[in-house]
Amino acid sequence: MNKLPLGDNTASSRVNCWFDPSFFDLPGESFSLPVRRKGSQALGSKAEPKRQKKRKGEVSNSDPHASCLMKESAQRDQDDPWVDRYSPSSQAELAVHKKKIEEVESWMRLHTNSSKGGILLLTGPSGCGKTATVQVLSRELGLRIQEWINPTNLEPYSSSQHEWRLNSLSCSSQLVQFQEFLLRANKYNCLRMLGDGGTADRKLILVEDFPNQFYMQPGTLHENLRRFVKISRHPLVFIVSDSLSGDSSSRFLFPREIQEELDISSISFNPVAPTTMMKILTRISSLEGRKKTCGKMGTPDQAVLEKLCSGSSGDIRSAINSLQFSTLPDMSLHKGLRMMKKDRLVTSLDKDVFRTNQRKRKKQTKEQKEEQAIGGKDASLFLFRALGKILHCKRGNHECVGSGGGAGSCLPSHLCHHDREELLADPELVVERSHMSGEFFNLYLHQNYLNFFSDVEDVERASEYLSDADLLTADWTSRSTMEDYGSSVATRGLIHSNSQHISGGFRPLHKPNWLLVNKKHRENCLAAQSLFRNFCLTPVSLQTELLPYLAKLTSPMRNQAQITFIQDVGQMSLRRFPSRVKLETLMEKEPGERKMDSEEEEEDKEEGLPTSQPQLTTSQVLLEEEDLVIEEYTSD
Amino acid sequence: MFPSTPLCRFHVESCIYLSPATILTPSSLRSLGGNSSAVASEKYFAGERLLCQHGTTTGITLNNHHTMSLWVDKYRPTSLGKLDYHKEQAAQLKNLVQCGDFPHLLVYGPSGAGKKTRIMCLLRELYGAGVEKLRIEHQTVVAPSKKKIEINTIASNYHLEINASDAGNQDRVVIQELIKTVAQSQQIQSSTQREFKVVLLTEVDRLTKDAQHALRRTMEKYMATCRLILCCISTSKVIGPIRSRCLAIRVPLPSTEEVCNVLTTVCKKEGLLLPPELAKQISDKSGRNLRKALLMCEACRVQQYPFSVDQDIPETDWEVYLRETANLIVSQQSPQKLLEVRARLYELLTHCIPPEIIMKGLVTELLNNCDGHLKTEVAHMAAYYEHRLQLGNKAIYHLEAFTAKFMAVYKKFMEDGLDAMMF
Repeated sequence: MNKLPLGDNTASSRVNCWFDPSFFDLPGESFSLPVRRKGSQALGSKAEPKRQKKRKGEVSNSDPHASCLMKESAQRDQDDPWVDRYSPSSQAELAVHKKKIEEVESWMRLHTNSSKGGILLLTGPSGCGKTATVQVLSRELGLRIQEWINPTNLEPYSSSQHEWRLNSLSCSSQLVQFQEFLLRANKYNCLRMLGDGGTADRKLILVEDFPNQFYMQPGTLHENLRRFVKISRHPLVFIVSDSLSGDSSSRFLFPREIQEELDISSISFNPVAPTTMMKILTRISSLEGRKKTCGKMGTPDQAVLEKLCSGSSGDIRSAINSLQFSTLPDMSLHKGLRMMKKDRLVTSLDKDVFRTNQRKRKKQTKEQKEEQAIGGKDASLFLFRALGKILHCKRGNHECVGSGGGAGSCLPSHLCHHDREELLADPELVVERSHMSGEFFNLYLHQNYLNFFSDVEDVERASEYLSDADLLTADWTSRSTMEDYGSSVATRGLIHSNSQHISGGFRPLHKPNWLLVNKKHRENCLAAQSLFRNFCLTPVSLQTELLPYLAKLTSPMRNQAQITFIQDVGQMSLRRFPSRVKLETLMEKEPGERKMDSEEEEEDKEEGLPTSQPQLTTSQVLLEEEDLVIEEYTSD
Repeated sequence: MFPSTPLCRFHVESCIYLSPATILTPSSLRSLGGNSSAVASEKYFAGERLLCQHGTTTGITLNNHHTMSLWVDKYRPTSLGKLDYHKEQAAQLKNLVQCGDFPHLLVYGPSGAGKKTRIMCLLRELYGAGVEKLRIEHQTVVAPSKKKIEINTIASNYHLEINASDAGNQDRVVIQELIKTVAQSQQIQSSTQREFKVVLLTEVDRLTKDAQHALRRTMEKYMATCRLILCCISTSKVIGPIRSRCLAIRVPLPSTEEVCNVLTTVCKKEGLLLPPELAKQISDKSGRNLRKALLMCEACRVQQYPFSVDQDIPETDWEVYLRETANLIVSQQSPQKLLEVRARLYELLTHCIPPEIIMKGLVTELLNNCDGHLKTEVAHMAAYYEHRLQLGNKAIYHLEAFTAKFMAVYKKFMEDGLDAMMF
């Protein structure tokens, strides 16, 4: 993974490692390794070979853990993380779609053959094989990867004087070091070492690990890149994982305009497809099974593999890790399954409806737990499906419950209109899995719920629940805690109040209009205030009295901005069906927009920027025009 | 960097901010170059309290007579003697000014009753014509949290008008900082002028509680150098301590006749002949809101002249739109209809109509379609959801919930009515 400028002989042996090994923390393994894995290797280049060795835990004498590592090295062979052992060595083994590989490959070919380097940005969820693709391809193209790794100045185990001195030398800021790294990597070729191929003059600079500073001030990164682009001779590849929870660091670090300005090509990877993943998992498990001699590992069967596959949600690294994990003797899955079966036997003895219900729920959660225990990665639900789960509100079968509990209702007679069948989906879980804030999820629900209702009484109740939910989250001091309750009230309220559900049929779902409308409302209000400031009116009377009437008057002395604004806002076309509010259909796999778009005035710190931007420019126009007026006034 | 004379001058200007005319003209401000001058002066006069610590102040002179030709502004009375109605109150105010001692005032009354006009007349009575030279200033106040708050103020050399509720949650800081700046500088020629300046705060009822408490303290502290005139629609949202520190002046709506009189005089000044019947209609339709009445009258003029008695008075688009929305609600009660209504509500919101006004208008229109005991129920519902609207975060939830509730109630009412007719 980390091919380093000078540590060639060691690094070449490491080249095969596919992903970060993740099982160093397991009991029985060496616990010292992770400490140094991401240590400061990139720039203290003289210290490199040494540290490299230490990292491998093979030769170094200075490492206190070396001896214990030596002893373990035999066992290590077995416990080597499978992600490393079975890392792909050719394009065929990559779990990435062919098209994507081709795309990256053609970019690499283009930019290594020309003398001028370019910048490539790879994005995609973690564990979809971005790094592996770059590594495999660069090996095939005969490129040397030079990678930036954030240096750390923390050296808890450095005992030797020599090392200390070196560290203190390299004790400049990460930012400066990054700049130097880019410069040097670009300018100088690597030193030829023994045992090195002749191909080393072509290289590729890889940055996967961004100095923290850039997250705070992406501007500095852009500045560096601009400088780099001017003198670049080697291709530079950035790899940014984007996460479903949507901090969108790629958009933050590489905004669209920068991408255009610097001519950055961007390729985004998709999560690994289940079939591809199955193939790889099967291959690995069969290889392992063949190798298995001591019999302490169980071979997972097809069902387990599938479960792993679905549990990992397209993250092949975590899938392989959990595969290895699940074949460990102690953690064997089968044991867990057996226990679960026993559980089920016990509970199934109960005949009571209530218990049956409980049992069902228990079973459900058990299944989920099972998946989680193996997969380790949270299963996530696309927004489209999550909304569907709430809005379609599938309920249990009537007969099923009826046979268990006789009358089918345990509610007293005056409450029996509240009686509902059991839900198939747990609303809270659905919201949680949609990776969305409850408030935002409610907006989506609100946008779409009306199409699923047929009765006005039901709508009345549902809308009241939504109103309740909004009220719960109104106070920003307690919002973070109340949000869960709010979403619970909204989802359950909607489901409960939908007594006569229109069944069947696909209905398109839409994105909420509210955010847009609200933003527009505020923008317009601000613009109104700044444009018509010289009328000295309070906002309300300005917006409800003056502007609409101004639209009806022919008042001559107004500038263009005011005229267009009045035409836009003061007038309303009465007959026309409102076309301003466009419905945006929610696509099936689309992640929702995560940002609440500066919606709450009170606590939103960054609120000013996006909304005030147009307003500022308009007021700027006003200022200039009014300046002329001032001159008239002073000359009087 | 700067030659010494202009710097000194600027220094003087800064300290006597808002004092005698001519010095702080916008041109001089401009000649000093806005922001950079602020920085420079701060550098040169470190330790001095300068206005420019707040950041940039950009001045724009208001030039009422050139840029505006609306009747509302054109024929706005400028002195207490010229006010058209509530003359007794005007005389009292005049006395108040002449007595010398001048308390803080709290002027309240419905929109369009002429509060602001009255206050400006009062200021003119206090300071003379100089108070009419207004300029809009864009001020930046830095909150303790280092957040910059931008706010527009309207000022003459003698007074400063702030609508602090523009600053949202940060209104407390704005009030404290701006009043402090005004109050800490003395009038320069106190022999010929009043000893105090006036800070006019509009929309006091929309201030947060925090800001109101801050205001109370500020009022006491700077009583010597400045007077506050607070302006609001209702005192119910103004905290007790403030109410008790002010002389409350209620400006009620003019009567229908008074509105008619004003309309007729304005039309006469414009050289138009307004039939008394039309004047009556306008004043009825405007709800005695004089501003609205004048705007309506002017719109009538654009629509048709000579006026005819049965001419229909132009209403604002949003009011018509809102009425249509209400009709839509009454016409059919179904989820699909509600969806349509929601789209219309969104449309109203994007046209800058505040949600409270939408709610109010909707209720008024809906109530016309209800009878008997349904009216009380609907009004109760409306109050309930209006309250939630105030508390809540996203207006559409509550507007829609109200609509849905009304639909359900109305539908039930109609069905019951049908059943009763069957028997």
